[in-house]
Amino acid sequence: MQQRVKEVMGASVALDCDAELMLRVKDGDGASFGLLLGKYRASVNHFLYRMVQDQAVSEELAQEVFLRVYRSRETYEPTAKFTTWLYRIATHLALNWLRDEKNERSQQRLDETSKDAPARELADRSPSVEQRLLRQVNVDEVRQAVAALPDKQRAAVLMHKYDEMEYSQIAKVLSCSESAVKSLLFRAYETLRVRLAHMA
Amino acid sequence: MDCPIKTQENTDWLLDYSAGRLNEERAVVLERHVEMCTQCEEFVRSQQGIWSALDDWQPAQVSADFNRRLYQRIDVAKPASWIRHIFRPLETAFWRPAVPVAAACLMIGAGLLLRTPQVTIPPAEPQARVEPEQVERAVDDMMMLHELNVTSQSGQKMSTPKSM
Repeated sequence: MQQRVKEVMGASVALDCDAELMLRVKDGDGASFGLLLGKYRASVNHFLYRMVQDQAVSEELAQEVFLRVYRSRETYEPTAKFTTWLYRIATHLALNWLRDEKNERSQQRLDETSKDAPARELADRSPSVEQRLLRQVNVDEVRQAVAALPDKQRAAVLMHKYDEMEYSQIAKVLSCSESAVKSLLFRAYETLRVRLAHMA
Repeated sequence: MDCPIKTQENTDWLLDYSAGRLNEERAVVLERHVEMCTQCEEFVRSQQGIWSALDDWQPAQVSADFNRRLYQRIDVAKPASWIRHIFRPLETAFWRPAVPVAAACLMIGAGLLLRTPQVTIPPAEPQARVEPEQVERAVDDMMMLHELNVTSQSGQKMSTPKSM
């Protein structure tokens, strides 16, 4: 199987063990799918949560991501890194959802305190309560600032910051050039620096 | 090195340097520039602040039943068994409109089969009333017949020797 991966990906690309697992899934190995799920469940969920900022929706989308991975197993070819393919599916679903849900209701939801945000422990009289409240306010500001970014910029920032992806990989996920990604990121961080200047 | 901000080149170096991800060779070059350029120094400082603010934003935990729900959906989406493959041509057949009618007929048939038959017990025929006189008469008739039978038998006995 390693030989097969090498043939497809070329000698210049290092062997992607995730792609190898996915090829096993293709051959009917359910346990390999379980391994991939265990490895990427959290990161895909977190990426989608930060994209749509709704816990229930992000889990639903994450389920759809892995369902599509499983359904596509028979036609899977390791032409790129597995994570590139995985995040392309996730980003596609998130961008579609954002496009469909971009209305007044979603804006109101952003302004409200998110249901799944950690509860503010007002009853706690410990000395750190003020600090925790301040931190919560800061996190809410960060959330809103990220949510205010254009969808593609937001996806790029999240992949760059939280998933530590290379520019080239982000470019493949977003189907654009590497220089376009650098430009997207530079503008996105600039917006965030202006908006969150008081926190810096 | 030219200023990345002024030339808009190598801006990724600034981003990576702020995140601590720039490789050592480039980091040394950029560091020298940042020490002399207040604009880049300010950029790095504020970018590090943003980086730190983003670090505080931690998402909620994934639901414990995430895998179970996913595998349920996978099971639902799994291809049909070989039995289903055999009957698949019938799934899209013309007979679909007839299904409700067939179901209704089946239900009526089942209803008829399962219905408890009402056993109607016919009313008992009234027995003929026997009068005491009739009984008496019948007994008399029987006794008479008996006597006649006895008499005829004895007559035969008596006449037999003569005939012999």
